[in-house]
Amino acid sequence: MIHKEYKTELTGVRYLSAATYEASFTRPKNFSFLPGQRIRFSAKTIQRDYTIVSGPQDDRITLCIHHIKDGKFSGIFASTTPGTQFMFTGPHGYFRYFPSDDQAVFIATGTGIAPFVSFVHDHVRGFILLHGITGPSEQYYKEQLISAASLYIPCFSSRLPDRQNTSAGFHGRVTRYLEKNLPSGKYHFYLCGSAGMIADSLPIIDERFPESKVFIESYA
Amino acid sequence: MKVYTKTGDRGKTSLFSGERVLKCHDRVETYGEIDELNSFIGMLLTFLPKEEKQIVSEIQNIQRVLFQIGSWLAVTPDSGYAAQLSPLDPAFIENLEQSIDQMDQALPELHSFILPGGGQAAATAHVARTICRRAERHLIRLVQNEKPLGKKTEERMAITQIYLNRLSDYFFILARYCNMLMDIADIEYLPQKKPADTA
Ligand SMILES: Cc1cc2nc3c(=O)[nH]c(=O)nc-3n(C[C@H](O)[C@H](O)[C@H](O)COP(=O)(O)OP(=O)(O)OC[C@H]3O[C@@H](n4cnc5c(N)ncnc54)[C@H](O)[C@@H]3O)c2cc1C
Repeated sequence: MIHKEYKTELTGVRYLSAATYEASFTRPKNFSFLPGQRIRFSAKTIQRDYTIVSGPQDDRITLCIHHIKDGKFSGIFASTTPGTQFMFTGPHGYFRYFPSDDQAVFIATGTGIAPFVSFVHDHVRGFILLHGITGPSEQYYKEQLISAASLYIPCFSSRLPDRQNTSAGFHGRVTRYLEKNLPSGKYHFYLCGSAGMIADSLPIIDERFPESKVFIESYA
Repeated sequence: MKVYTKTGDRGKTSLFSGERVLKCHDRVETYGEIDELNSFIGMLLTFLPKEEKQIVSEIQNIQRVLFQIGSWLAVTPDSGYAAQLSPLDPAFIENLEQSIDQMDQALPELHSFILPGGGQAAATAHVARTICRRAERHLIRLVQNEKPLGKKTEERMAITQIYLNRLSDYFFILARYCNMLMDIADIEYLPQKKPADTA
């Protein structure tokens, strides 16, 4: 299948933390997508995918991007003036939410939270969410997620300075939470973000929650 | 995007419908064979004469259909996830039949079995034919083992089965057609009366 190319315009950028920003774009008229899907930008020989954060009905497309120091592409929108036009293809990917009687558990690291925010825009509720981040400043879309989730657990991987240590959340990686805290049961797991987190979570899921289903989107 | 994700290091994989299964699961074996077939077809393409543009585009379309079949096979039947995938269009089977008829008309009539081989393109088409047969056999086993299936799934699997059956016929004719294009005569099978002289 050849994906259609769309023209869009950057409308604004806002930083969500020191290294992560949200970029907003106009939504091309005939562009539609399903929550969890992504779009692809090209520059010379490189292509980069970014998962859509906004909902399928919104008139803007928003992306949540971790600006990697020395990265070839991830800083591009942050250093461009609003009004600049970009081309993208899409929608790409099959990472979708499937309603089920089994409890949904969303597991994200960093900007891997993006598809889950889009699910929430699409009225998905009652899920358990584990968000792997270094500290409280990276709890992107916290309010929205708290109000939609049945359980929202930020998992802080860094040792926090004492003044932040009181933050509500789990002090340890998401994999540790899976291993020690999530009650055994049959779940629908949705994993999104770093390949390391995904590779480390799967053996735990296979062992502790063998009847569960697993859906994966790797940012590797 | 990194090629290695390490997620399959422990011998398990995730189906498109979310189940965690061993990599030797029948379903994984079957879509693995479709992938193997697709790769051999890729090799076959490299041996085709450049000017055979119609055949090249026909074969690339077959590769796309095989991708579609692969995604069907990566979904547990009747799991609800299948609703996301577009069903295989029976017109693909008609297209194969038309191509088979067209090539067949240009070929000399066959009166006996032929030995698989000839030029590189023909020999590779024969390999593709046999892998296709293996994938077909595996698909039949999979369907039998998973019965009873819902009516819709039965219909979809039946179309896939017919497609694979027709596809191996296509590769048989294509092998002969490639030999003809390259002026290579098919070698008819004659029973060997006594062991060949090895001297
Ligand atoms: C399916 C998919 C969806 C994606 N969705 C998003 C998204 O919604 N938001 C988002 O921010 N990214 C997302 N990505 C990642 C994105 O496509 C780029 O890979 C990323 O922005 C890095 O691009 P770059 O050109 O700046 O860095 P590169 O020049 O490619 O990489 C520079 C270096 O940084 C390392 N690196 C890569 N990613 C990270 C990271 N997250 N943290 C630290 N180091 C890293 C690389 O290993 C490399 O060594 C997604 C990727 C995929 C495959």
